[in-house]
Amino acid sequence: MAPSLLQPQGHLSPAETLKLAQQAPDILRRNPKAISASPLLSLFSAPETADLWTIYENLLLSCLRTGDDESAHHCLERLVLRFGDNNERLMAFKGLVKEAEASNHNELLAVLKEYEDILEDNQANIPIAKRRVALFRSMGKTPEAITALIGLLEFSPTDAEAWSELADLYLSQGLYSQAIHALEEVLVVTPNAWNMHARLGEVSLMAANVSTEGFPQKHLAESLKRFCRSIELCEDYLRGYYGLKKVTDKLLSEPVKLKKQTEGEGFSLPQKETIEKLNQAATKKLAEIVRRHGAQEPLWQGYNADEIVAAKALLDSSASNVVR
Amino acid sequence: MVQIPVQTLHRDPQLFYWILIPITVVMVLTGVLRHYASVLMATAPKKQDVKAMREQRFLGRGVTLRTNHHVLSQKAFDVRRETLTAGYESGAYLKEPEKKGQPPANPLSDPSAMDGMMGMMKNNMAMIIPNTLIMSWINAFFSGYVIMKLPFPITIKFKSMLQAGVQTKDMDPRWMSSISWYFLCIFGLQFVYVFLLGSDNAASQVAQQMQQQQMPNPMGGPGQDPDKQFKAEAENLAVVEHYSVLDDVEERLLAGIKS
Repeated sequence: MAPSLLQPQGHLSPAETLKLAQQAPDILRRNPKAISASPLLSLFSAPETADLWTIYENLLLSCLRTGDDESAHHCLERLVLRFGDNNERLMAFKGLVKEAEASNHNELLAVLKEYEDILEDNQANIPIAKRRVALFRSMGKTPEAITALIGLLEFSPTDAEAWSELADLYLSQGLYSQAIHALEEVLVVTPNAWNMHARLGEVSLMAANVSTEGFPQKHLAESLKRFCRSIELCEDYLRGYYGLKKVTDKLLSEPVKLKKQTEGEGFSLPQKETIEKLNQAATKKLAEIVRRHGAQEPLWQGYNADEIVAAKALLDSSASNVVR
Repeated sequence: MVQIPVQTLHRDPQLFYWILIPITVVMVLTGVLRHYASVLMATAPKKQDVKAMREQRFLGRGVTLRTNHHVLSQKAFDVRRETLTAGYESGAYLKEPEKKGQPPANPLSDPSAMDGMMGMMKNNMAMIIPNTLIMSWINAFFSGYVIMKLPFPITIKFKSMLQAGVQTKDMDPRWMSSISWYFLCIFGLQFVYVFLLGSDNAASQVAQQMQQQQMPNPMGGPGQDPDKQFKAEAENLAVVEHYSVLDDVEERLLAGIKS
């Protein structure tokens, strides 16, 4: 899929971002600086569309990523001209530009101070509150970021974005059960997000790997089920199959002592035959994905190249195990 | 067969230019004016403060938890349910916890609710005043004229629509009076406004009336006690019979893959 300025930019590679950012002068030239609200002028000039502002926003982001500060400023100027100085979203963008241009620690601290002033004024300014968390994070102050994020979630508990950021922060600190809790909150808000299901499976698997004492099998069972659910929601989802294979491999290679579980204590593991079948299915599907992606089949090119490489490595390692 | 003689009325052709066109122009201009007046008078949506947002979102959280409880395991759901229910019942999520249990304030005395009502009043005024003015203007100057003849035949039922203000029983319904032209303009100029002002204009009253009917009561209904809403939500949560979508997911998956 070709990158488009109308879609969120988070997942784009640097090269794709550069390609988008290079359109900036062209787009800025093609569109008028200010859209007139007068009825006569609007008859003669291009109509104002909502798309245009999305394009400006995304252009702003990709220009900042590629260091084209001048175009970024132009985009910001036009957005401010249209939506005014006090728009919460634009305040966050302004802060973002300042963060990007800050060259040393003190300037970042100044931006942070600014955010805090704004928040003091209006605590409910969610975009700025999120920028503050992001700034803490990029300055390496994870504990502060977590505290700030919890403060945000305290009054806005249905914010999936904030919950998933919190999960990520907890995970970076190795706090698995907190991360799992946060991810579950994300799922409560977006129950059909297969990537979040798979992510929760991954985090549970990590938790099972580190939990030395006690019950890794609870986490393993949860992880297995999460991966299954993610595949159920999105067949051909590579990460889901990858995780499923990982977790079933682990379950088959080191059979956990099947303790009798007390009722209501999470999920119980399925039968051994079922696990074997799941493992086979995952292996088969992964092999198919790798093969068809490798054969350049047109409908199978949407996968991330790194993920394909990882899947291939996983398949190879398990194949060598079988030979041995 | 007897051909019905075609009615002919001798009227000054100037009538056409001095009535039809002025009415149309005035109608279009009022529409444009009304649009800009309502843009000017529009009150900016009021910013929610933290407490109000918290109250509303915690209520929303209860609803999402209740509808999406199946993504969680039994234990995770129970923990969340307990926390939320406790919070709901103790009033911890209320905007003003100390006011818990008191009857809701009269919405008329609440300044924030007043704002919303003022906005509605302004909108209504912006519609009523120009309409009254124009209507009386047309009545004063143009009533009783027949201004044009439609180029196509039309049945007798349209008589009341097209010949308002002209009480002549036997006249062919194809003749049209000025008041009727005014009414046609009210309902028919919407596309002109869309062309001039963009699709979300405030010029056409038909669109505005529709919008008002559709608009749900703003801010979740003033006068509704959030404490009662919380209690109700806590009850709703308590009766949820939990199941997890993860139960037997592997069997479902295997069956799905095979088929």
